[in-house]
Amino acid sequence: CSEYQRVLRKDDVAKKYAMADSLYRLGKYKKSLKLMEQIVPAYRGKPQAERLMFIYANTYYELEDFYLAGYQFERFTQAYPQSDSAEVAAFKSAKSFYELSPRYSLDQKETDKGLEKLQEFINQYPNSAKRPHANELVAELRYKLEKKQFEVAKQYLRVEDYKAAIEAFDNFILDNPGSEFRAEAFFRRFESAYELAIVSIPSLVQERLLTAKGYYNNFTKYYKDTEFAAEAEKIMQDINARTVTTETEPTT
Amino acid sequence: LFSLQAQQKELDSGRKYTINEIKVTGAQSFNEQTVIAFTGLKTGDRIYIPGEKLSQVTKKLWEQNLFSDIAFYVTNLSGDQVDLELYIVELPKLHELTIEGVKKGKKKEILKDNDLKPGVKITKNLLNTTKNYITNKFKKDGYFNTNVVISTTPYVDSTGVEVSRDMKIVVDKGNRVKVKSIDFEGNEQFSDAKLRRAMKETKQKNFLRVFKRSKYTADGYAEDKESILKKYKSNGYRDARFVSDSLKIIDDKNVALNIKVEEGDKYYFGDITFLGNSVFTDGQLRQVLGIKKGEVYNGTLLQERIADESSPDAEDITNLYQNNGYLAARINPVEVAVRNDTIDFEIRIIERNLFYFDHVTVVGNDRTNDHVIYRELRTRPGQKYSKRDVVRTIRELGQLGYFDPEQMSPNFKKVDEANGLVDLEYSLVEKGSSQIELQGGYGGGGFVGTLGLSFNNFSLRNIFNLESYRPLPMGDGQKLSLRAQASRFYQTYSLSLTEPWLGGKKPVQLSTSFSHTIQYLFDPRTNDTDRDRSFTITGGSVGLAKKIKWPDDFFVWSNAISFQHYNLRNYNTGLFTFGDGYSNNLAYTIGISRNNTATNPIYPTSGSDFSLTAKLTPPFSAFNNVDYGALSEDRAVQQAIIADPNSNSAQLVDARARISEIDQQRFNWLEYYKIKFKATWYTRVIEKLVLRTNTEFGFLGAYNKDRGIPPFERFFVGGDGLGAFSLDGREVIQLRGYPNQSLSGIDGNTIYNKFSLELRYPVTLAQLASIYVLAFAEGGASYDGFRDYNPFELKRSAGAGLRIFMPAFGLLGIDFGYGFDPILGGTEKNGWETHFIIGQQF
Repeated sequence: CSEYQRVLRKDDVAKKYAMADSLYRLGKYKKSLKLMEQIVPAYRGKPQAERLMFIYANTYYELEDFYLAGYQFERFTQAYPQSDSAEVAAFKSAKSFYELSPRYSLDQKETDKGLEKLQEFINQYPNSAKRPHANELVAELRYKLEKKQFEVAKQYLRVEDYKAAIEAFDNFILDNPGSEFRAEAFFRRFESAYELAIVSIPSLVQERLLTAKGYYNNFTKYYKDTEFAAEAEKIMQDINARTVTTETEPTT
Repeated sequence: LFSLQAQQKELDSGRKYTINEIKVTGAQSFNEQTVIAFTGLKTGDRIYIPGEKLSQVTKKLWEQNLFSDIAFYVTNLSGDQVDLELYIVELPKLHELTIEGVKKGKKKEILKDNDLKPGVKITKNLLNTTKNYITNKFKKDGYFNTNVVISTTPYVDSTGVEVSRDMKIVVDKGNRVKVKSIDFEGNEQFSDAKLRRAMKETKQKNFLRVFKRSKYTADGYAEDKESILKKYKSNGYRDARFVSDSLKIIDDKNVALNIKVEEGDKYYFGDITFLGNSVFTDGQLRQVLGIKKGEVYNGTLLQERIADESSPDAEDITNLYQNNGYLAARINPVEVAVRNDTIDFEIRIIERNLFYFDHVTVVGNDRTNDHVIYRELRTRPGQKYSKRDVVRTIRELGQLGYFDPEQMSPNFKKVDEANGLVDLEYSLVEKGSSQIELQGGYGGGGFVGTLGLSFNNFSLRNIFNLESYRPLPMGDGQKLSLRAQASRFYQTYSLSLTEPWLGGKKPVQLSTSFSHTIQYLFDPRTNDTDRDRSFTITGGSVGLAKKIKWPDDFFVWSNAISFQHYNLRNYNTGLFTFGDGYSNNLAYTIGISRNNTATNPIYPTSGSDFSLTAKLTPPFSAFNNVDYGALSEDRAVQQAIIADPNSNSAQLVDARARISEIDQQRFNWLEYYKIKFKATWYTRVIEKLVLRTNTEFGFLGAYNKDRGIPPFERFFVGGDGLGAFSLDGREVIQLRGYPNQSLSGIDGNTIYNKFSLELRYPVTLAQLASIYVLAFAEGGASYDGFRDYNPFELKRSAGAGLRIFMPAFGLLGIDFGYGFDPILGGTEKNGWETHFIIGQQF
């Protein structure tokens, strides 16, 4: 029966604390956690609690149990706002939610929470050394949300629901002013409008081609030099061709 | 309360005394000091005796509800010094409660509603209220003669001190009372009998009524009174009301109801005018309303035609607006004039503006990828708001099987009145959609083990992405099934994968499957397996199915190509006359089906399901230059030799070898066509009782008469219909009441038909387990060719059974069927058969 097992079974809180601490320093988080789980309630409100609560939260963090890590770090920052470790705790709490954020195509409630927590951290510790890193994480999460919305819009185009696609790209452009996908969104909106126009009943084609032209102008105004320019140009030529033929043979 | 008589003459009520000492007697579980501290009295206090202070203390103690007796005694009096004794009798605490004579659920209710937890003080009040509560509770359910006896017995701890009491409640419900008579007064328009008929729960005693017993319950009676008013109101008597109603207890078993009504006048609809409508014309609205001037006034109907609360997709005026973009439209019917017996209505409509969907989002998908969900949405950005589309989207998302249908909700996140935009969010909750089948059994001379896995929301593209294994790559809406079955003498493996949206563009379903079976020769007498002699079948199929919009959008058109290779290694089966050789089965299947069964796939209550398929092999004989006519003649000659009793053994061996040769040539590539038709209707009879009507027909034919119909792909009728271990593409047709496959020849038949009626009633349709009972009558038969065919010569059966569906296990069931006809080759009717149904869904 090892020393660890003996301490685990005994009621000596101080010994448990000491052992948990040394195990934690050695990086034996699983063993340390077992001890800490037993003594955390006993230390609540006592002077040692500050350190204990921090390493407790950090143990979850190290074990990649980010649900509990996020929660415990959050509790720590609320209980010890003046602590030296408060900044680290606030950051790790936010980072835990960042870690929980799933791939873009699933529900993004953790992403929203992570963004909120990271923003809180940036606001509270504007001079923190971790700030650039926090900003990187924010950008990454934002990117994920943008990608989600963008992919949904693109799917409307893929299933040939052009009206929904135009609307969805419109919304995307309005909602995400600084997005990386903006150029493509402008182009896809134009593409959707073009596809819609050419499958429309004859009486609507000209009007819709005109709308598409408008989207083309929007695209070229901002993103003339992007990778989509060539394809946009090709579509535009087709639009022009179609517009010209109907102008020379006016429908009665 | 004050027991001061002994010293009465010595106490001067107008005088203050000093407390010399306070003692507490009678307290069993309370510390004396605690009680004294609670009274607030202490040695040295000067108080009037008797006086207000002591009254207050007594009152305070009573209010604790802890004591059954509280008294102050003056035990000693000298001058103005008094010794006080506080005598308290603690109320007994409840130790254990037993209730007899009621069911478990009711018991819990009684405990909860009366707060009968251990440790509660047993007061007279508690006993009385509990008793009244129980009596009233049963009275409400029609038990007027309920007898409740509550007794308590001391509970003594190990030292012999009574620490609490046990309580025992004995309930004798007695018999339910029946309603001897229901009499009405004041009814002129409807006879007593008619009004009684309107009462669905409370019925008069009547020998002839079999299904509904006469009983009286308070709730049922209240409901019935509502129904009577409704009956009046839907017949123009909008002022009808009850003047009084009384319940008379006749004797232990009978009560009589007497109801006095005031009918009031009969009213009619007068002018109905629409106000504020600009989108729809009066004529359009009038058509939906469907109420004409002069019709008998019916308030319920009017309300239903304006907004039917009972059904989200009803054809009413509110939905007319809601389905056409007018999210904020309000419709109010207002009585504007009552002229004699005619009521004029104004239907005031506030249309507001058109709404369009702006952002449409989905939340709660923790496993399923966005694209799988968004492609099913019928509400997309930029579309006009339509409630019907929202309702249909929810229904269709439920049918995917990935989400809990009970926990889905569409939420309007932002309603922007000014711009006519609405943000819609679908909130979903994922549910388990995988099934595991693990079976072990003893059969066919050894242990048979089966492992089946079916994943309904698989993600094929992540199959090599180790990180996505949680525990499996999920979320792309593909279906993957794996199955392996093995025993000592055979093994079979199969795999199938279905992608419902091939290419992600249109709902074109791609299904692929692969299977491999190997069977070794097994001798049941010696219990040996000979691994050198085997029969192997390897095959696969690829199919495409597409929803088509014509004739309506419930049709599915499907195509599949399948191939099977049979390989015999010194293995004689009933299928082939050759023991060494091979055979290939390449076929194309085309089918069309229509399924609009609704809404629960486990328990459809309406709709129908039709399918017509044709399975065709290429007509090899038309171009392979084999003279099957000559072969056929040759074969007939050889058979004549075998049949001839004068043939010697060498001739027999030669003839048999030649037949094998010929058959190998006939069956090297199988040639046949097969037509199948199946139709099933679901009809709601009453409430949840559903009738399933089913008819099936199948036909197997040959292009080339000389080549003949192969021994494959045949129909086997009878039994539970489970696709048992089979090598030859046989179709097992369920016909309960007979042993499995007992109604077809040993090699199967080429034509079959079947008719079946089944009544189903659900016990529960909960998420965890759906259970229903069924009764059936069916008939079917199989025939060898059209010469034998006689659709009226059926094997009939009837019986009853039970089905349990649990999402993790699939369907389980048992049927007891009685066969009225003899099985093939039998002479007596078959009688009872028991069938176990596993995993079959229909």
